[in-house]
Amino acid sequence: MTAVLDPPTPVRPAGPRGRARRLARRVAGPWTYAALIAVLAGSAFPVYWSFVVSSQTPDAIDTVPPVLVPGGHLFENIARVFDTTDFALALTNSIVVSSTITVSVVLFSTLAGFAFAKLRFRGRNALLLVVIGTQAIPTELGVIPLYMMMSEFGWATKIHAVIVPGLVTAFGVFFMRQYFERAIPDELLEAGRMDGCGSLRLFWHVALPAARPAAAVLGLFTFMQAWNDFFWPLVVLVPENPTVQTALSTLAAGYTTDYTLVLTAATIGTIPVLIVFLLFGRQIVGGIMSGAVKG
Amino acid sequence: MAVVDRAARKHRWDTKFAPYAYVAPYFLLFGVFGLFPLLYTVWVSLQHRNLLDSDGAYFIWFSNYHQLLFADPYFWNAMGNTLSLWLLTTIPQILLALGIAQLLNRKVRTRTLFRMGVILPNITSVAAVTIIFAQLFGRDFGLINWVLDLFGAGHIDWQAGTATSHIAIATMVVWRWTGYHALIFLASMQAIPASLYEAATLDGAKGWQQFWRITVPLLRPQIIFSTIIATTGNMRLLAEPLLFNPGAAASTGGSDRQFQTAALYLYEQGFTNWDFGYSSAIAVVLAIATVIVAGLGYLVTKRIQTD
Amino acid sequence: MRPRAMAIGCAALATAMVLSGCGSESAAGGKTKLTIGLFGNFGYSELLKEYASTHPDIEIQDRTASYSDHHKNLAAHLATNSGAADIEAVDTGYIAQFKATPDKFVDLNTKGGGQLKDRWLAWKWESSLSKDGQQIGYGTDVGGLAICYRRDLLEAAGLPSERTQVAALWPTWQDFMATGKRFQANAPAGTKWFDGGPTVLNAIVGQAPVGYYDKSDKLTLGNNQEIKQGWDLVVDGVQSDLSAKLLYSTPAWNTGFKQGQFATVTCPAWQMAKIKDQAPDTAGKWDVTSVPGGGGNWGGSYLTIPKQGKNVDKAVELAAWLTAPEQQARVFTGAGLLPSTPKLYDDPAIVNYQNPFFNNAPVGKLFTDAAKQLQPQYQGPKAGDVQTAIGNAMQRVEQGKQNGEDAWRQFVGDVQKLTS
Repeated sequence: MTAVLDPPTPVRPAGPRGRARRLARRVAGPWTYAALIAVLAGSAFPVYWSFVVSSQTPDAIDTVPPVLVPGGHLFENIARVFDTTDFALALTNSIVVSSTITVSVVLFSTLAGFAFAKLRFRGRNALLLVVIGTQAIPTELGVIPLYMMMSEFGWATKIHAVIVPGLVTAFGVFFMRQYFERAIPDELLEAGRMDGCGSLRLFWHVALPAARPAAAVLGLFTFMQAWNDFFWPLVVLVPENPTVQTALSTLAAGYTTDYTLVLTAATIGTIPVLIVFLLFGRQIVGGIMSGAVKG
Repeated sequence: MAVVDRAARKHRWDTKFAPYAYVAPYFLLFGVFGLFPLLYTVWVSLQHRNLLDSDGAYFIWFSNYHQLLFADPYFWNAMGNTLSLWLLTTIPQILLALGIAQLLNRKVRTRTLFRMGVILPNITSVAAVTIIFAQLFGRDFGLINWVLDLFGAGHIDWQAGTATSHIAIATMVVWRWTGYHALIFLASMQAIPASLYEAATLDGAKGWQQFWRITVPLLRPQIIFSTIIATTGNMRLLAEPLLFNPGAAASTGGSDRQFQTAALYLYEQGFTNWDFGYSSAIAVVLAIATVIVAGLGYLVTKRIQTD
Repeated sequence: MRPRAMAIGCAALATAMVLSGCGSESAAGGKTKLTIGLFGNFGYSELLKEYASTHPDIEIQDRTASYSDHHKNLAAHLATNSGAADIEAVDTGYIAQFKATPDKFVDLNTKGGGQLKDRWLAWKWESSLSKDGQQIGYGTDVGGLAICYRRDLLEAAGLPSERTQVAALWPTWQDFMATGKRFQANAPAGTKWFDGGPTVLNAIVGQAPVGYYDKSDKLTLGNNQEIKQGWDLVVDGVQSDLSAKLLYSTPAWNTGFKQGQFATVTCPAWQMAKIKDQAPDTAGKWDVTSVPGGGGNWGGSYLTIPKQGKNVDKAVELAAWLTAPEQQARVFTGAGLLPSTPKLYDDPAIVNYQNPFFNNAPVGKLFTDAAKQLQPQYQGPKAGDVQTAIGNAMQRVEQGKQNGEDAWRQFVGDVQKLTS
């Protein structure tokens, strides 16, 4: 298993010269567009359809043949969502939870990923294996002991209980480690050391700038995952203090399962993530385009 | 001299201890909020214990494991389903993601639109995904059966069969996660220097050959990463099979347990049957199995070589 | 991560601390906040508002979750001794399992429950009583049985649709299935006689003098003729294509109500609220009549008070009020849940109640008669899980995976494993 840690075949990031070269990437032909449009349609159809349902009356969901065009009831349904649950609080809670987790995961994963990829220390490989191993643990049963801890700390029913266990992820550390492995040439770090840079300065001036695109991807993924997490929040939070996901399951559990209401709430709940994606997305695209390493 | 000495000492401290400081936040936070639940689960797995009755618990050591591994056909059924779903999800996910990343890597107009498009499934709430797919795969009024009907192919009761239910669940998972892996691959693909492709073109390699001989080998670290991440996720599928079959019998995963995964069996034993000890033993065995399967996945992806 | 981002992060963390500080336990102005954890429709929304207005010191928060989430979370909260609501509803299918750990709940006998005891049917009181005599819950409703049927669909198939005439078609379950075969011969396209085998079977089992367990908590499946005969009869119905093959309480079943996929459904009293909530457009098409085979029970719930609560006494008071005959009467006329307090079975306000959604069916008379006929059946420790297992077995027959005998054999094996 140490093999996970084999230095992968390095792809040396192209220097400034490579930048001009990469622009010579293949120009997409009609088949590429056709394939991409098919992929886009497949990805977006269920999402589009849930938007359609949220603009219809409750009957629309099981009509044969299915309704495929938006109706005129969107705002009425949105009003019903905010009447039925404290959806504003749910949105606020979710934004606080997800952004706190994202900042923490990106920061700590970048630090640890850098150390695992580029610094030599005893027990490095063993510790990395431990990190990867923790990714394999099914978390469902952990809710009981975790809940015991949270209630010990007095955090049960509060959003701390959702934030704190998410502050670091094995995924993040592993992800950043794999990225650093490749993105920073060892020679560059050696040169930095020769100039008397400590590891912290290397991290700050060499690693961090190089990590921007990967950190943006990680940030986006972490935000999405924190946003969509529902198994643990459903156990530890109460309906009076919901996240978007627990509010959705409360809506789904009403006297009747009003799917229109659930899908309307789900559609509203997607908007903040889309905004985050637009913010990070530019960062990712821009970062990738400008090359992994500056100069 | 003293200055150099101090610098050297500082340097030694830096190379020796600083790395530990960098990895410390992860291990500290994990140690508090991850390790305790883990050790607790192992400890409980050695007990006969009702979920609600911790005072009545007593140690039976390895009896839960013995029962599980040698006398419980439902556990092996669940492991079989888990492996089947692992194959049906992980392999298509990685291959499709590579293909989509390759497409996105070309010079495409409105690329941001396409990139956002492929990640859309991942930002959709599980609650919405469930409702949408329940309607898509519905037996009597589902969209897919409606389309099949148009072609005269008749109705399929997706939940009833082993193969059909696995396909339906795998579709949900692949749909949700392929774009995610595609973005991981895309990020790395864009760092591959064009000169490599130019040289290959001069050697007469076609696009398809270039993909397999240059792109895939150079993406090896990301493929290894994605395979391991997808494996650890797909080996413990719970929400999808649970929500595929809502109602009082949800945790059995179908009338004949045809799509009960190991994680779902764990859930049934823990939260329906309240056998906390047995359920913990399943968690431990499942974690070990996941490590083994991830190791196998690693060994396969590691064989990807540059020419 | 750059300094600016870190600053944002710290700000977010600080906001998190501030925001979550707001969610304090006790409400403002010295009010006591009581939480009540429910599933489905208990018909309490008006009652809770009224209680809060007559008790200015009390604020009530209703937490309604889905059936399975509710019981799963309750188990988790009891296991960790925190997080439960002040009052938690428990369904009949779970009550035996919960009363095995009575220490998690307030013993209502120590809170004046003894004086209230006579409110309830004796068997209702006993089924939430632990082995050592601790009372863990006050009964809410019982699930007296009837059959809900679609008048329009029966007429379309050339069958009578008047209640008494319909009831005369099926004195026994054998007659019910025989009528089904007549119906199916002329049924409108896409319509079956009943919704699904498990629903019918649950009613038949609920009528048996002895259920899945005898009073010493031993399984009876080896020699319980009523259950096995019921099984064979329903299998025959399924194989005669009378079943819409929909499992109760699933989204597909809910859709079945709207789409008219079946003409009859077994109707414990709580089912009426479900039909009305789920398929409001079918108002007037439904009717209710008596069930084949005599009285029986399926479902019904209890209100328990977890010991971990901070306002146990006030919670007990509210639970007692909600389950008092006056309130149960209002729940019956509001949501259709059948009272568990026999005093009401002769109360004219109840007996004369007709339900407009169900074509003004005299549901008051129908269900109080059913409740009076009802033979109490002992529920063993895992009755709910056995019910799930037999439902799965019947589904295997419906899905064509197994024949009746194989499915039964596997079911008996499952149950032995469950209780070993």
